[in-house]
Amino acid sequence: MNSGTQAEPGPARWRRVQDLFHAAADLPAAEQRAFLEARSEGDPALVAEVEALLLEDRTPGSFLDHSLPELAGHLLGTEIPGRMGPYKVVRLLGEGGMGVVYLVEREDVGGRAALKLLRDAWVSPSRRARFLAEQRTLAQLDHPAIAQLHDAGTLPDGTPWFAMEYVEGVPLTEYCRSHGSGLAERLRLFRAVCEAVQHAHRHAVIHRDLKPSNILVKADGAVKLLDFGIAKQLDPTGPGTDPTRTGLRLMTPAYAAPEQVEGGRLGVQTDVYALGVLLFELLAGRLPFELTGLSPHEAARRVLEQEPPRPSQIPGRPVHAGRAAWGDLDVLCLTAMQRDPGRRYPSVEALIRDLDHHLAGEPLDARPDSLAYRAGKLLRRNARAVLVTSAVGVAVLGVTAYAAVRLARARDAVAAEAVRTQRIQQFMLQLFEGGTGEVGPSSDVRVVDLLDRGVREAQSLEAEPAVEAELLQTLGGIAQNLGRLDQAETLLTRALELRRTAFGADHPDVARSLVASGQLASARGKYDDAEKEIRDGLAMLRRHLAKDDPEVARAISGLGRVLENAGRYPEGIRELSEAVRLQSRRPGLEADLSASMTELANCYFYTGQYAQADALNQQVLAIDRRLYGPRHPHVADDLINLGAVQFEGGNYSKAEPWNREALEIMIAWYGPDHPETASAQTILARTLLRLERRDEARTLLTHALATQERVYGPVHPRVASTLNELGIIARDQGRLDDAAADFRRMADIYEQVHHGKHYLIGVALSNLADVEQRRGHPAQAQELFRRVLAIYKEALPEDHPLQGIGRVRFGHALMAAGQPGEAATQSRAGYDLLVKRKDPPAIWLNMARQDLGTAYRALGRAADADRFQEELGAANATVKK
Amino acid sequence: MARAGPRSSGVLDAGTRDHLFSAAYDELRRLAASVRRDDPSRTLSPTALVNEAWLKLASSPEFTATSAAHFKRIAARAMRQVLVEAARRRSARKRGGGAPLVTFDEDTLPPEAGSEQVLALDTALEALARLEPRQALIVESRFFGGLDVRETCEVLGVSEATVLRDWRAARAFLAHELRHTG
Repeated sequence: MNSGTQAEPGPARWRRVQDLFHAAADLPAAEQRAFLEARSEGDPALVAEVEALLLEDRTPGSFLDHSLPELAGHLLGTEIPGRMGPYKVVRLLGEGGMGVVYLVEREDVGGRAALKLLRDAWVSPSRRARFLAEQRTLAQLDHPAIAQLHDAGTLPDGTPWFAMEYVEGVPLTEYCRSHGSGLAERLRLFRAVCEAVQHAHRHAVIHRDLKPSNILVKADGAVKLLDFGIAKQLDPTGPGTDPTRTGLRLMTPAYAAPEQVEGGRLGVQTDVYALGVLLFELLAGRLPFELTGLSPHEAARRVLEQEPPRPSQIPGRPVHAGRAAWGDLDVLCLTAMQRDPGRRYPSVEALIRDLDHHLAGEPLDARPDSLAYRAGKLLRRNARAVLVTSAVGVAVLGVTAYAAVRLARARDAVAAEAVRTQRIQQFMLQLFEGGTGEVGPSSDVRVVDLLDRGVREAQSLEAEPAVEAELLQTLGGIAQNLGRLDQAETLLTRALELRRTAFGADHPDVARSLVASGQLASARGKYDDAEKEIRDGLAMLRRHLAKDDPEVARAISGLGRVLENAGRYPEGIRELSEAVRLQSRRPGLEADLSASMTELANCYFYTGQYAQADALNQQVLAIDRRLYGPRHPHVADDLINLGAVQFEGGNYSKAEPWNREALEIMIAWYGPDHPETASAQTILARTLLRLERRDEARTLLTHALATQERVYGPVHPRVASTLNELGIIARDQGRLDDAAADFRRMADIYEQVHHGKHYLIGVALSNLADVEQRRGHPAQAQELFRRVLAIYKEALPEDHPLQGIGRVRFGHALMAAGQPGEAATQSRAGYDLLVKRKDPPAIWLNMARQDLGTAYRALGRAADADRFQEELGAANATVKK
Repeated sequence: MARAGPRSSGVLDAGTRDHLFSAAYDELRRLAASVRRDDPSRTLSPTALVNEAWLKLASSPEFTATSAAHFKRIAARAMRQVLVEAARRRSARKRGGGAPLVTFDEDTLPPEAGSEQVLALDTALEALARLEPRQALIVESRFFGGLDVRETCEVLGVSEATVLRDWRAARAFLAHELRHTG
């Protein structure tokens, strides 16, 4: 460690520069130099550095003093490429958050298409997944009234695109206006729209953004529903409904169902509602609610609180019909537009049926006089259908994104049931998504409320067991993310029971439950249970899925991780290598692959094979930077792992920048009170400790411990690990009782978690032994060291550095207790083990040299003593150099 | 003696981690596009965009558990990435870096000066983050996300005095770096 005041840039230097800067900043400029010179201890470079900053401080007009409006306007301009794949770009059609759409021409075979490109594909994998899911959704829909997918590909830089049918037409309402369409024509067009939507629903896709601007009528009178899901991002507001204020486009709830406005659960009834509004507009010539000029909040309130009028009551209606016909049409509209989704038509099919009843002059299923009663009855009669359709219905497009892999499976008819329930899960996840990133004290209350609400809803659904199991499974996953592990266990266990009852003991869903429950057990430190459950689940998955199915590979990887956590590294290496092998052979599994490689690297690390660990970590870092961008928590994990290897080699000042960058990413991503942040704080603190910056380290650790105890409970490996560091600080600051208490608690935690068989128990006990020695209890200390060595012998490979380190420490204690004979034996054994290594840990080697020098001297073995004292001298000289 | 244990893949799965960020990112891009569509001559203030994105997203279920300040913090990060990536592309094109993209309305755009400044600032912020991550966060939040002092305090859990002091030192540091690279 350098103790001099070299001018090398780094956090310490920067703190010094800043202190001087702040001290001098408010002095008159003329006095600053003298002030600095007096306080810089003859370091002219320091004076110059601070002066340069002071100059900037006095100079206004830095780039940073402007906000950057023009620049942003300029930088964010949309570019258009010349060609993509076989297409030549004609012009820009539109752009939104995720994508840009161009009108393109196919040069070889002719013909026009609309081509959508994912903008900034690199930003995050979930955007890419969402884009691809959208494309798959389109590919599934084959209907004359839905714009077709033609083609898809990627640009040389990896940006995905797809081309779809280019529709030249006018929005539905505008078509009717300009053609002066009569009632029959309007109902024909409306029915055609309903059929297209129903087709989508049959394929488990909800449009969610039905409105005239997404429904075009071509010159020949044919209806086309535009790009599902794409329209939503391209053009959030339709013509004539636009409350635009100074360019600010906010969601117009004109066609949005109340549950959409409230952020509630979306289902096929959401589209039914929008169809009701559309029918209203076709019949009445205006929207049911007057929303122009309202703020989004006011507009939302109106949709939520007001009853829509009857279309027949609107003056100036563009169509004519008899009184009885209007009666039917009012009922059709208002049933579709019921505020409570359960009172609407339960499906688009039911809406079409009633429309056909009307066209055929038959009585409607829904009647005005008993609307509530009938709708309720209908609902009960169709309880199962409602449930199924709303389960299907949750495949809102934004959500399917998260199930790209699962959607691909949707093509298997066999998997249809599984897919339906997967979608419930995705829906639930979306509902809670915002919360899972938030575990902090101020915000998690609301997330937890959401969770509890979800649990209550799931129970009150009285759903069929398969559906309920899926809901509970999902809620369990969320509870786990929130750190509510007890609740997670209750939910996951119940889900498993339900599935066993519903499907029998051997079924892929039972297997999924087992794997999930094993992963939870692992998170709770119950490795035996975890291993058993995951092995059972894996065997079951292998019976039902392909050998190299991504889900199988993921379960193998999960098993490897449990073995790793349990300290069974060679077995872990075997499983993880297998997962890596499967995952690297299939494209599109990079995220899984990177996770498996990380765990594999960890196993190598734990077994002291640092070169392998480092090489794997470098590969993982490259993959993750490409997958997630440079500032993602996964990248932070990789940086921490790279730092760990430096740390282990004693290169603490090299480890520090890795650790700091990682912590910065975590704070930025999660905020200061999140367990991920806590964990990064612990790691940085550990390095700072080795650099002897104890106060800084203690502050970080105290904060981290509070977060970890809150989230994980008092008996958890992460709490133990933080206690270890606090114990070391207490020891080094001479607070020996505190130190002993910390280490004792640490050892207890590891013993409970690992059933007395893990090298970490040894680490804890050897730290405790050291403190006992210092407190003047040599007998206890020696007893503890013997236990430590026994644990290491059982839990670690013979040539593991800890075997050597444990002996060196034991020797050191014996030496201090005045037992040179036994000390020499232990220290020498430790020394011999360590010195064989390619990268021997210098501190321990030197401790051994010192003790051996003294011990051999006391035993009268002068030659041996000289040898070790010389070695020590040489080593110290190298360090100083 | 303690071992610096390596880390596993984290508490949250990738999709969850990603979600808030990509929603914010998409909304910013969408707003940027719609503002230009309405009034091509209107300049875009990132701060205003972040605020508008928050108004839009605040009521969506994904964000119910997120405070305005925390959202803006995430959006500031997204905004920085949006601008840096745009600048990187522009500057690659300017150098004739073989980028296949051409600007739609290239003739009407002012010279490319701003890209270099954004890239230089990004680099300088990375350098600052290595010295004192908190200061880099403060600058990023304020410059790219328009967080005010109070919001910055809330998000970073530090006092107002610290934020002001950090900003002053960071500003001087960055201005100095920019002067010597730009």
